[in-house]
Amino acid sequence: MRRAHFVGSLAALAATLATAPQRALAQARPIAPSTATAPSTPSKPSTPSRPVKLRVFAGGANQRPDLMRLLFAEYSRQHPHVSIEAESGGATSDLQRQYLSTVLNARDPAIDIYLIDIVNPAQYFGAGWLEPLNAYLGPPEQVMKDYLPAYQRSNVIGGQIAALPAFADAMLMYYRRDLLEKHGVPLPRTWGELATAARRVLDAERDPALQGLSIQGAPIEGAVCTFLLPYWSQGFEVSDAAGRLTLNREAAARGLQQWLSLVDAGVVKRNVAEVKTPDTVNEFKAGKVVFGIGWGFAWDRFASDPDSRVRGKVGVMPVPAMAGGRSVTCLGGWQWAVSAFSRHKAEAAQLVKFLSSRPSSRLLATRGALLPHTLDIYTDPEVLAAVPWFRDAAAVIEGGRSRPASADYGQVSDAIRTTTSAVLARTKTPEQGVATIASRLARVMR
Amino acid sequence: MSVNATAPPPRWSDRLDRWRDPDERTLALLLLAPAFLLLALIVVYPIGKLIFNSFFDMRLSGGRVPRFVGFENYLLVFADVDFWNATKNTVLITLITVPGALVVGLGLALLANMPFRRQWPVRLALLLPWALPLSFAGLIFAWFFHTDYGVANDVLRRLGLADAGEPKMWLLQPGWAMAAICLTIIWKTSSFMALILLAGLQMIPRSLYEAAEVDGASRWQQFWQITVPMLMPSIVVALIFRTISALQTFDIPYTMTRGGPGNATETLAMLIHKTTIDYLDVGYGSTLAVCMFVLSLVITAVYLKRVGNAA
Repeated sequence: MRRAHFVGSLAALAATLATAPQRALAQARPIAPSTATAPSTPSKPSTPSRPVKLRVFAGGANQRPDLMRLLFAEYSRQHPHVSIEAESGGATSDLQRQYLSTVLNARDPAIDIYLIDIVNPAQYFGAGWLEPLNAYLGPPEQVMKDYLPAYQRSNVIGGQIAALPAFADAMLMYYRRDLLEKHGVPLPRTWGELATAARRVLDAERDPALQGLSIQGAPIEGAVCTFLLPYWSQGFEVSDAAGRLTLNREAAARGLQQWLSLVDAGVVKRNVAEVKTPDTVNEFKAGKVVFGIGWGFAWDRFASDPDSRVRGKVGVMPVPAMAGGRSVTCLGGWQWAVSAFSRHKAEAAQLVKFLSSRPSSRLLATRGALLPHTLDIYTDPEVLAAVPWFRDAAAVIEGGRSRPASADYGQVSDAIRTTTSAVLARTKTPEQGVATIASRLARVMR
Repeated sequence: MSVNATAPPPRWSDRLDRWRDPDERTLALLLLAPAFLLLALIVVYPIGKLIFNSFFDMRLSGGRVPRFVGFENYLLVFADVDFWNATKNTVLITLITVPGALVVGLGLALLANMPFRRQWPVRLALLLPWALPLSFAGLIFAWFFHTDYGVANDVLRRLGLADAGEPKMWLLQPGWAMAAICLTIIWKTSSFMALILLAGLQMIPRSLYEAAEVDGASRWQQFWQITVPMLMPSIVVALIFRTISALQTFDIPYTMTRGGPGNATETLAMLIHKTTIDYLDVGYGSTLAVCMFVLSLVITAVYLKRVGNAA
């Protein structure tokens, strides 16, 4: 079954790269009437006779370099003069950023294409490290129009295409469908409703090890989203379009207070400031969590890990909002960008276009449950057959927002996550925490 | 070869002769040159470069060009609450763990010096914590003190000293987190102290103790009158090494708490790492490193003057 998908996806890939892309795509993918990355102006063709070697940084294990290599192999098969070398490493976005910033600062031409986190295009493009892709692919309104809006915003900077999305990701609210059905509990839409729902399940189950809600409170990147989720849902932003700080202190303090109330209600565990992403995933997988917030990759762990006790019992729903607010989630996701120091920019741009195409996204979705960057792939029957939960994920992704873009994102992230963790450990009150975050961010986001 | 004896010899051969048969001063310089060059390469250049960088605004994060800012970074350091907080934590860790490791290490050394029939098991046990990588020790103790899965809470619960429903959150309370870190550092570094002190103990001639016993000195008197004074040079060496490494504490708090909760256990070395590697602010990071270097120099100098004189 999976093999058939893979062969089908490769056939579609081959079609996309044919000489008449529009027609070939229409034949190969009748459900996808337009192509996401079709340039409006002819891109510079690579010379078939001249062999080119492209080196690609394909992220760490969570970005599935194994699947990316399949895409590279397919591209090389279709373009025999292009050979692709893949490099991977850096377990977290932080570690990758440190490595890439060093390489790019040194203006190293060795790597032609980078896979970068959604928080990075603004910094890298601003620093002049990324090649604007308009000249190779076409104007942004044409090239970007089919991607999810958040990825259009993050990847187009000052009218220039800085990168193209590889796959989407978002903080999803996983829940135990079986337990909610068993106790007749409806899906909560606000944090208050979630507290009631979780309490009903906890009281009925009488399992002291069962947690109502698991969120990340340790000082890691996940805690940035823990701070932003309740804040954003009240309709506020951390920064404006120019990158200036617009933090609403009262709303931010209310958001942090919301988490503390959930701890006091016995829904979130007391030592939440110790919880890291793998803790949420492992405890949910062990059947000890009713609601859990985690990145998209967790689904594959719940569904496929041999030690998962929640296989077939998990649902995905939009992240609840503050009372009177609107559900918003924290977007992640990875982008392909061409190095400004590459010696083969035209060829690299063509490869990036291929990697960001619908067929490539479809392959990453069916083979690795990596979330697509284009909305209609979420309802593609072939994709849904392989990953049925994408039906629920589409709405969550659509309501997603990116973390504040800044050239100094490392400092922004550190200010938010360290202080959020301290508030959750109750060494600071929410008001003190927000004051600390505001004063630190004010220094960075001027 | 015919050489005109009246003409002055060419200058180059004069020089060559001096190289062939150098006087003592030249010879000394020649012999020292390789070592000096090596030291210059691995010590003088990096430290010089660090000090040089500390006068620049070198933020790599935005592709900005490095800009000379004079003493601006140093002025920022004095106004930086994070710097003073990290300095306070570093000094606190040093003040607690150095005497702590000395006391525990001395005990271990005395134990290992006792006339056991088989000494290797004691000495192996003594060496093990020292052989463990620092971050490894940090991770082990982080698990010990974990609220849900930690041995510490489990033992307390079994002894009836803690409520099962309200486990102690060791690493989430500033005081306890600092105590846990200090305990780990003492556990990890006592072996090193013990090794140096054991070497010192073995240098003390047995005849001194035999003479003391003949004179009717008690064990306690022997310890204070013979062991401690004779061991003082070893103690000073161990204290200096331990103090310098305590000022550079990084791995154990980094792996146990990441400096948390908040910045309550962040040390100077962690702040430098964060500024340079996470924030990519090489200029300010270098300034912080220079400040830490000066702090180490001052404390070592005071030590050598005070403790060294006493020894």
